Formats: sequence, C-alpha cells, structure tokens
Amino acid sequence: MTDWLIVLTIGLPWLGALAVWLTGDDRPDQQHRLAVIFSVLAGITALLLIPSTSDSVALRIDVGSVFGDFTFVPDGLGVFLAAVATVVGCLAVVFAVDYMDGEKQLGRFYSFVLLFIGAMVGLVLTGSILLLFIFWEITALTSYALISFHNDDPKAVAGGIKALVMTSFGGVGMLIGGLIVYAYLGDYQISTLLSRADELPSGVLAALAFGFLIAAAAKSAQVPFHTWLPGAMEAPTPVSALIHAATMVNGGVYVLARFYPAFEGVNGWTTAVTVVGLVSALMAALMALVATDLKRVLAYSTVSQLGYMVYAIGVGDIFASQFHLLSHAVFKALLFLSAGAVIHSVGTRDMREMGGLGKQMPFVRNVFVVGSLALAGLPILNGFWSKELILEGGLHDGPVWAYIGMVIGAGITALYTFRMVWLVFYSEPRAKLHVHPAGQMMRLSTGILAAGTATTWLLIGLFGELLEDTLPFHHLHVEAGTTLLGDVLTAPATYLALGVVALGLLAWWFRDLLSGVAASLRPIGDAAAADFGFEWLNRRVALWVTTAGESLRTFQTGSVNWNVAGIVGALIVVLVILALGA
Amino acid sequence: MSTLEILMAGVIAIIGIGLYGLLITRNLIKVVVALQILVKGALLALVAAGEASGQVNLGQSLAITVIVADTVVAVVGLALAVQAKRLLGTLDVDALSTLKG
Repeated sequence: MTDWLIVLTIGLPWLGALAVWLTGDDRPDQQHRLAVIFSVLAGITALLLIPSTSDSVALRIDVGSVFGDFTFVPDGLGVFLAAVATVVGCLAVVFAVDYMDGEKQLGRFYSFVLLFIGAMVGLVLTGSILLLFIFWEITALTSYALISFHNDDPKAVAGGIKALVMTSFGGVGMLIGGLIVYAYLGDYQISTLLSRADELPSGVLAALAFGFLIAAAAKSAQVPFHTWLPGAMEAPTPVSALIHAATMVNGGVYVLARFYPAFEGVNGWTTAVTVVGLVSALMAALMALVATDLKRVLAYSTVSQLGYMVYAIGVGDIFASQFHLLSHAVFKALLFLSAGAVIHSVGTRDMREMGGLGKQMPFVRNVFVVGSLALAGLPILNGFWSKELILEGGLHDGPVWAYIGMVIGAGITALYTFRMVWLVFYSEPRAKLHVHPAGQMMRLSTGILAAGTATTWLLIGLFGELLEDTLPFHHLHVEAGTTLLGDVLTAPATYLALGVVALGLLAWWFRDLLSGVAASLRPIGDAAAADFGFEWLNRRVALWVTTAGESLRTFQTGSVNWNVAGIVGALIVVLVILALGA
Repeated sequence: MSTLEILMAGVIAIIGIGLYGLLITRNLIKVVVALQILVKGALLALVAAGEASGQVNLGQSLAITVIVADTVVAVVGLALAVQAKRLLGTLDVDALSTLKG
C-alpha cells in the first residue's frame, strides 16, 4: 500500500508532465486543466502517505550490485517535505492558471513544473545516496529550465546558467560523497552511512562532511554560493514561489538534517554549519533591507531564513530547523504568490514605483500582510513559533555570539519586512499604475496559503512525534506539542526576540527621526547593495575559467598526426611507469 | 626464443609501422591504410594472447569481431576519401578541416 502511494506521488506529476506536453500548445485550456488535476492528485496522495509513516524501507527496486538497491523510506522527515512539495506545488500550479494565462509555450512551463514536483518528492523520500543525487540533479535541471523560461531575455538565460553551474557544483560534491561511502562501506544506503559512520577513517569522514556542507550550501543558496538565488528571480513568479522559496532550496537544509548524525562528531563541522547559517542570515537580511526589486527582497529574505535553518542544524536542533522549514515553505510561498499577483497586475517589480496599492487590491494586501507578519516572527502565526524555537535552541545549545547575531538578524528581518509592506501597499502612490484586480485562481491559492500560515503551527505535536518515531539515528527527544508551545510562551528568549522585532518595527516607524543614524550606516548599505563583493568574486571566477578554457584551446589542433603523437607519448609514459613498477 | 616472444616481436613491429604511418601521413587513403596495419597488429596480439592464456576460442572470436568492426572502418573511411576527392579535390586531411569552430 505504502509502496504504491510512493510510486503515485512521484509518478503522478511525471505522468502529468507527459500529458501536458502531449496536449500541445494550441490547446492551453486543456493544458491548464491537466496540470491542475495531476498536481492536486499528487498533493492528495502525499497527504495520504502521512499516516503510513515508518522508518523501514517501503519500496525497494533491485537494480543490480553496481548501483545498489534503489530504496524509498517514508520517514517523518521525508513524508512531511513531500507533502509540502506537492501541496505548495499544486497551489502554485493553481496560481499559474491565472498568472500564465495567455503566455506562449505553456506545455514547456507546466511539464517542467510537474517534473520538478515529482523529482522533489523522490529526493526527500529516497534512501539511497545515488538516487538522492539523481533527483537532486533533476531538480537543478528543472530549476534552470524554468528560470530561463523566457528564453528570449538575456537576463533570464544568464540567471538560469548561473543557477545551473552553482547547484551542479554542489551536486558533484554529493556524487563524490556517495562514491566514497560506496568505496568504504560497500553500499549506497543512507542508513548504512548513518549507522556505520564511525568505521570510516576520520579524515575521510571529515572530507565527506564538508563536501556535503558545500553541496548543501550551493543548493540552499548559503554564503558564499548565495548569488544564484537573486538571479533566479527572472523565473515566472509561481516558479519562484515553488522552487526558489518553498521546496528546492530547502534541499540543502534537508540533506544537512538527514546526515547530521553521521557528521556531528566531525571536528569543527557543527561550528562551520553554525557560521554559514549565521553569516547567510545576517548578510542576506542586510541585502534585503536595501534592495528595491520586490522579488529580490523576497529572494534575499529566503537566503536569510534558510540561514536560520542551517544555524539550527549547526547547534543540533534538527526539529526546530525542520519545523521552521515547514513554516517558511508555507509563508514564503504565500509572500511570493501574492507578490506575483501584485507584479502581474501593475507590470513592474520595482517597489519604488509602487505604493498605495492596498486600497486597490485589498485581498492581496491582506494575505501579504499575513505572510509578512509570519516572516517578521509575530505571534501567533507559524513563523513566530518556529523562529522562537530556533532561537531558544540556539541559546541553549549554541555559542552566545551566534545567538546574538541571530537575534539581531530577527530585528533586521522585521525592519525589511515592514519596509517592503509599506513601500508596496501603503504610503502615497509614486507612479501612475494601471491596476487590475487579482484573478479567482490567484485568490484561491493565496487564500489557502494564508490559512495555512495561520494554522500550520498546530501541527507541531504531530510533526515532532513523527520525527521522533521514525528517525532512529537522530535520537530526537521532542516534547509534546502543547509543552513545546508552552515553553515558547514562557521562555525569556521569546520576549527578548520579540523586543528586538519590535525595535525593528519602531526603527521603520521613526525612520525620519533616525535619519542621522541611517546616514552613518550608509557605507554598510552600499556594501549590501553591491552584494558584499560576492558578485564581483563570481565574475572573477567565471572570467578566470573562460580564460583558462580559451588558452587550452590551442591543444585541440584537430590534426590526426598530433593526436597520434599524443597517444604514442602517453603509451610510452604508461610503459615506462609499468617497467619501473615491475 | 619461444613462439610467444616471436609473435610479440611481430606485434610490436606491425603496430610500430601502423603508428609511424599515422604520424607522418596526411593523405586520407594512407591514414586508412595505416589504421588497418595498426589493427592487424592488435589482431595478432589478441590471437597470441588467447593461445598463451589457454583460451584459444576467446582470443579467436574476439579477433573475428575486431575484423568485422575494422572492415566497417575501412569501408566508411575509403568511401569518405572518394567523396572528399570528388567534392573538394584534395585528400590532404589538414586541408579537409573545414569544420573550424
């Protein structure tokens, strides 16, 4: 039964991708309908999977001794993320019915979206590192294809290539990790690595741990690989909501959480994870504060929130990290989709040209404000509970300097969130924009997500129980849901964080009085606007690689004689080595 | 000198001739001929290795497979040479490299 549900959850979206593709672009209505039907069905099967959560292998495909068994394990972590991927996925598809209406080549769009949903489910449910790598690369490919969906726009194409190169760089690290595990333990299963990690030589295990950290940082857009995510904002907004906020970018956090038991003993690894999370959270929050493009603000805020999750893993609080992942997926998808509704109706992404839109689009304003309050971490929305859990865990188990940094980050988060809401929906209209109201499908999907933002924290007990019961290697001790919520409400850390959030809000409110302070902080703002030099570093690396490639071209003469000379030379070298060795 | 050693000396000689031909010639037909000589050396090595390791059947059946594949190479290569001469008027492989990119 469970095995069929897993096959259906992965297979239905893929089948839908094929169906939409075969329908042809001359029948867009049919394509919309098919995409919605298949993605909703996938969402339902993923939700049906939750009751049959277990820690044992539910589906095993024998593919011979070279590749090991392809296994699927429906444990709490995987099933919850699969549910997030498919449910947010179907809402994004529903949203796209309005958003992509009238676009050409819908077949390409929906096929890649559905292919992505299936691959994401596979990624979180599989128990084999090799299969994990394959799904990992499929998500990278679909992400690339969808960022470059408007392939006549050079910016979109450049953004897609950048994302593909960076995430594939991480993917190679993961493949090498899988091969090392196979070489030493004779198996590709994740459970083998988790249970027998201490059999690996410590140097090899350290290389593995840091390799997976690089892979995760590249996928989750953490420093120093974060630059691809703002570039990915050229994608159509439903794609940004689904892939670049709610699901794919969580892949890195998921991998860190999944492999945590194997790597926690490695010297310096947890500190490195903490620092990556801290630096990402703080820097991206500063960049969000000065960005003027609505989608870029949301992109930087995603990097920042992912930093919170990575930080939580660094201090060992897997449950808080994954719970924040769930909350963030819901409220960030909501923010992106409602931002998409705004952009769709006013035709610009520049916040400086918006303003006063709240009166014209009250529904969108309301759901956007709900999402923003969750992002800022105000009670009682889901972002509040999960962020407080992370900060509380960080105070208990992590270094104090990191905790202070994260609390400051929470204040900056509140500041840029209120700035964004103010610039878009309140204040005076700054440009004459022709506004038309959001469509029915847009209202439906953002409405459901807003309801989710207000309620998913109620799942805390169920989520904790599932993780505790089905992750045998993590040794999680999650308290009952009510206790956890009570803890959050009574902990002094909560009120400290809320105070900082309130400070952020006040700073925005009295920004005129603080103009002197703001002027003195101008250099930081300028550095943040310039991406703290990482963009420059990127360009240097790209330039260096291209130059090296160009200079190596002279070796490709294309002349038979030279090629044969090369072969003979190599043959002689091999023979000499053999002769010396023997 | 054992039979195997004599055979191996022959293999090295034939392969050497083939490689030398590939190194110096620019004529397409001569390239194909040199390639054929090279592969014949490899064939001899296969048969000799089969004899030496006691797996005569394996060595000989591999050799026959190589002969078939090699014939295809010769046929395609010579057909290309004929067409190149007819269309471009030359057999010089360097002059044929119009696929510059």
